[in-house]
Formats: sequence, C-alpha cells, structure tokens
Amino acid sequence: MSKLVLEELTKRFDNIVAVDKISLEVAEGEFVTLLGPSGCGKTTTLRTVAGFYKPDEGRVKFNERVMNDVPPVKRNTAMCFQSYALFPHMNVWDPHMNVWDNIAFGLKMRKLPSQEQKKRVSEALGILSLEGMEKRKPGQLSGGQQQRVALARAIVTQPDILLFDEPLSNLDAKLRVQVRVEIKEMQKRLGITSIYVTHDQDEALAISDRIVVMNQGRIEQVGDPQEIYLRPRTSFVAGFIGLANIFKARILGFEGNLTLLSAPFGALRVDLGRSYPIGAELDLSFRPESMSPWTGVGGNKLKGTILHAIFMGDAMDLFVDVAGHRLRARAGSAARIAAGDEVEFSIPESTFQVLE
Amino acid sequence: MERQRVGFSTYLFLIPGVGFIVLFIGSSIFITITQSFGLFSVTGTSQFTIDHWVALLGDRESLDSVLFSLKMGFLSSAGTILFAFPLALFLRKGGTGKRFLASLVKIPLFIPALVSAFLIINLISYHGIVNEVLVALNLINRPLRMLNDRFGWGVVGIQVWKNVPFVLLILASSLASIRDDTIDAARNLGAGAIQILAKIFIPLAMPGILVSAILMFIKAFGDFAITSVAGPVYPPSIALRMRNTASLFQEWDKAAVLGVIIILTTLVVTWLYAKLAEFVTGGEG
Ligand SMILES: Nc1ncnc2c1ncn2[C@@H]1O[C@H](COP(=O)(O)OP(=O)(O)OP(=O)(O)O)[C@@H](O)[C@H]1O
Ligand SMILES: [Mg+2]
Repeated sequence: MSKLVLEELTKRFDNIVAVDKISLEVAEGEFVTLLGPSGCGKTTTLRTVAGFYKPDEGRVKFNERVMNDVPPVKRNTAMCFQSYALFPHMNVWDPHMNVWDNIAFGLKMRKLPSQEQKKRVSEALGILSLEGMEKRKPGQLSGGQQQRVALARAIVTQPDILLFDEPLSNLDAKLRVQVRVEIKEMQKRLGITSIYVTHDQDEALAISDRIVVMNQGRIEQVGDPQEIYLRPRTSFVAGFIGLANIFKARILGFEGNLTLLSAPFGALRVDLGRSYPIGAELDLSFRPESMSPWTGVGGNKLKGTILHAIFMGDAMDLFVDVAGHRLRARAGSAARIAAGDEVEFSIPESTFQVLE
Repeated sequence: MERQRVGFSTYLFLIPGVGFIVLFIGSSIFITITQSFGLFSVTGTSQFTIDHWVALLGDRESLDSVLFSLKMGFLSSAGTILFAFPLALFLRKGGTGKRFLASLVKIPLFIPALVSAFLIINLISYHGIVNEVLVALNLINRPLRMLNDRFGWGVVGIQVWKNVPFVLLILASSLASIRDDTIDAARNLGAGAIQILAKIFIPLAMPGILVSAILMFIKAFGDFAITSVAGPVYPPSIALRMRNTASLFQEWDKAAVLGVIIILTTLVVTWLYAKLAEFVTGGEG
C-alpha cells in the first residue's frame, strides 16, 4: 500500500498538453476518482502513474519515493482496463490460457511458489464470486464476468496502487451499478489505494472517497462527493456534475446574514456564508432539486410557468419559465403538474453556490 | 459455437474459386498420380505398373534429392521466420524512419526468384563483391565458397532474402492484431521484455508464424529456380530432378512419381500444420 503524490505533473503529446501541472495527494487506502469529459487527460494521468508514460515535467511519488524513472514492471501497480485486456486462450506452451491462468499471470511473473499461487488465486476467485469458472476461457465469459476476472487478476498481486480506467463502461447499466458496488467493497476490504477514472458522474459520486474533477488537462476541483455536488466551485463543475441552474446576479445589499441579489428572474435573498461588496457581479448556481413547489414556509418565492413536466418515476423534472428565464426544478412524483400551469416555487436561502 | 446453416446459394458463390481448383489443379494432380502408375502416359501408352515407384524408391540418388529438398524446406522456412519475426516486432509500432524501412525491406517481394538468385550471386559468388571486399580488407586469405556449396547454404540464404518480406507481411498483420492493452496489462503485471515475447507476442502471432512456416516450406521444398542457380552440383532438388527426368531423359512416368512425392509431402506438411494450429489455438479459430 502506498500514498500517491503527483507534483506539478505535465505530459505533452507533440503540441497537445494532455496533462497540465496537476498536483494531487492520495492517502493510503483512499479511493480517488478522476472525473471529467472525454479528452481531459484522465487516462494520460493514470498511465503516467502506471509508468506507461514518462512525465515531461513534475514528479510521481509513491510514498516518498520518486517513480519517474521506474519502469511499469517494477511499480507494483495493477491496472484494470476498459477493454479488460484479458490474455486470450492462445498460448504455445499451454494452449488453454483460461481464467485461472489469467489471474495467476502476475504471480507467475513474480515467480511465487505454486502453493502460494494456488492460495491467492483461490482467494481472489472467492472475493469476486468466480468460483467454478477457473477452467473457462475469456471468450466464454460475459462482459461482467470478464471484468471480474480482470479485477481478480489485478488484486492477486497485492499491488500498492490499483488503477482503473473506465472499467465498467462496456457493461450495461444495471451490471455497471452492481459491479461498482463490488469494486468499492473489495477495495474497502483490501484497503488498497485506488485511482479510478470515469466520465460517469453517478459512478464517481457513488464510489469515491474523493473526486478530482478535471477539465482540459487541469484540475477544476477536488473534494468528497457531497462537496463536489453541493458546493461546486466553478461553473464547469456545477454544469458537469448533475444539473445546475447557473446565472449572474448583482449584490444589492444585506439583511442580517443574508445577501440581497438582483437575478435575471427576480430579487433573491441568499446565504452566501461571506460578504461581497455592494454592486459586485457574481456567478451563482443552484440545483434543480432545491427549487420545488411552494409549501407555505420559508425560502425565496418565485412564480413561473411550466414549459415541460417530465415524469421520471421518483420525481417530476420541470422546465420552468420565470420572468423570461428558463430554470430547471423538481417536484415530487405525486405532484399533478402539467405544461402551461402557473406554479409558485420556493428556493431555500442556503442552497446558492458562488462560482469562480 | 453454433454452426450456421449453409444455403445452396452460398455454394454457388464458391464455384469460381473452388471450381477452378477442382477442374484444373484437381485434374492435373489426378493425371500425375495415374501417370506415376503408368496410366494415361504422355507417350500414349496406358499400362498399370508400379515399376516406376519401385525404381525410384530404390534409387539412392532420388532419395538424396528428397532429403535435400526437405532440408532446404525446413531450413529456409526456419531461417525466414527467424529473420522476419524480429523485424516484424521492430516495425510493429510505426515511428520516424520505420515506414521507410518497412517499404525498403519489401523490395525483394517484387523481384522474380530467378532474378533474385542472380542478384545474390553477384554478391556472394567466388569472385563476388563480398569475397573481394573481405580479401581486400585482409579479413580472409582465400575467397569463401558460399555458392553451390555442398550443403546448400547459398540456396537457404537466397530463399531467406527473397521471402523475408512476404513472411514479414503475414507476421506484421498477426502482430498488428495484438492489442496494446494486452501488452500493457502484461507489463503492468510484472512481465519483462523476454516474458512478453514468450507469453504474448509469440503465442499470439503463432497462427501467423505457422502459416508462414508452411508456405515457406512448400515454396522452398518445391523450388526449382534458386537451386538450379545456387544449389550444389549434387544432389539436385527434387523439382530439378523431376525436370531432368522428364525433359532430359524423357522419362515422364518417373517424373510423375517425383511429382506425386512433392504433392504428398506438401499434403503431409499441411496436415501437420492443421493439427498444430488446432493445438495452438486450443481447438478454436
Ligand atoms: N498516445 C497519444 N498520442 C497523442 N495524443 C494523445 C495520446 N493519448 C492521448 N492524447 C491526447 O491527450 C489528451 C488527453 O487524452 P486522454 O486519453 O488522457 O483523455 P481522457 O480523459 O482519458 O478521455 P476519454 O474519456 O475519452 O478516455 C487528448 O487530447 C488526446 O487526444
Ligand atoms: Mg480515457
């Protein structure tokens, strides 16, 4: 097990800066997710940690040891690939490269005694509920099973750091949820420091101790899932994770702890947790679920016209026109709301987030 | 795996390819076989006899030719792969200069076998460029005999030179189908360069290696052109002997026996290949 430190890590491909001065500390046993849109540098960061790429600038450290010049073979990381990358069953010396052989591969490379190999592979088969499949060939397994074999193959070597590159993106939605729970449980049980790459925000929120939101090779925000979701610091983070109503507003004055704002859809009283000069322009956001039909107490009261009301099963997703401005809101699934209705909404004072 | 039912129309599409093989190749193989037993002979007679077989199988010189051709087949096949595989590995990932190199090594592909033989002869003959240079540099006292040597190294050398590019094409496509992820996964799990070669590259390229080996064997085993120019004085390759028997000595039926031996050897080797391929791929593919 290792602590992982990235210091001002930069990686370029020709003239593309894929990773741009990233600094990050991951504690021992922590599960950190790199989340961001396609091409933001997640895979590049991960592969630099694994040693497949050499950083152009900056350092990769495991505990206190600088790893920049250590080849991948010697890093004792274990990577799970999006493509699973299981070894096919073709093999001259042993034509049946099956599940067992795949899982034992890393142990064979480390020349562990066969008794120990047996023990560890059996353990891993147990952890990932793969008992009885050891003789199957990769081609005879479902996607979920293949990914579990890949996970087993990664953990038997008792790596210092586990690296996941979108391991679930080839699975269907239901299986994705199931396997991600398994990954999380396994990681907690084994306590292996883990870096997990995904562009699926739900997955990131569900699985991570901390989330690193990346954009164009840089880190936008680091925080635990609640912080990232409830306290997005930039409009990129607010927009990328979940849905957000983002708007500009001007400070009009103060009322006790509350700030009075002029927003495009009306005046607001908000709790920003600190004060700003009167007249300042701020970028603000709030989540759709903070804006719900008025129940008679508290919050900012706004009147709007429903543009679309979409029944989602567990809630109603609402598109609302408030003074010519389009906002997203939520109502309980039992609410009887339809397009064209005039509805009064409330937004609590404390749900507004100032964006950088 | 479930087998797909093959409809009648599917067979129709096979006619141009399979029909040609059956009609022309099949019939000529048939005639060769019957002729070796004295039937439908070129000379017009048709009388069943095993005399030609008995004569040839008891003939020391013919046996020498068969053994020589087998030797040339195996050595050329092994030599070509030994040279082509590392080259294919090196060229697997494109890079500056590699594309140029890749097209450069393909040149022998476009030169006919006989012409290649003469080209190489200029290099390695008794008074060829290589020997002259070595002597001039005082590295050797007398020119080396690299051509028409008794063993046949000259033939092997030319076969390898001529066929490396072709085998390179086959091996390159086998290697190209190996995913980078597979290699990275192996490296990540602690496999060094040699282990990756032994556990990933060679096994996964094995179907390509086997195809190359078999094609090269058949080519070198039945070779006429290169042996006739660069081969030893004795024994002649089996194809060379066949030609001599037929057109110099006008013994067409005996030549047919040699032809059948070539065909049979090819069949046996191909069968071996199929068995080996089945074993290597674990009975699939
Ligand atoms: N081997 C490479 N050669 C050249 N450019 C590359 C290479 N790998 C990545 N890039 C570029 O670097 C940038 C970051 O790529 P990276 O693969 O890290 O993105 P990502 O965040 O993993 O995206 P995705 O979610 O699509 O997998 C992209 O602009 C990409 O085009
Ligand atoms: Mg990626």
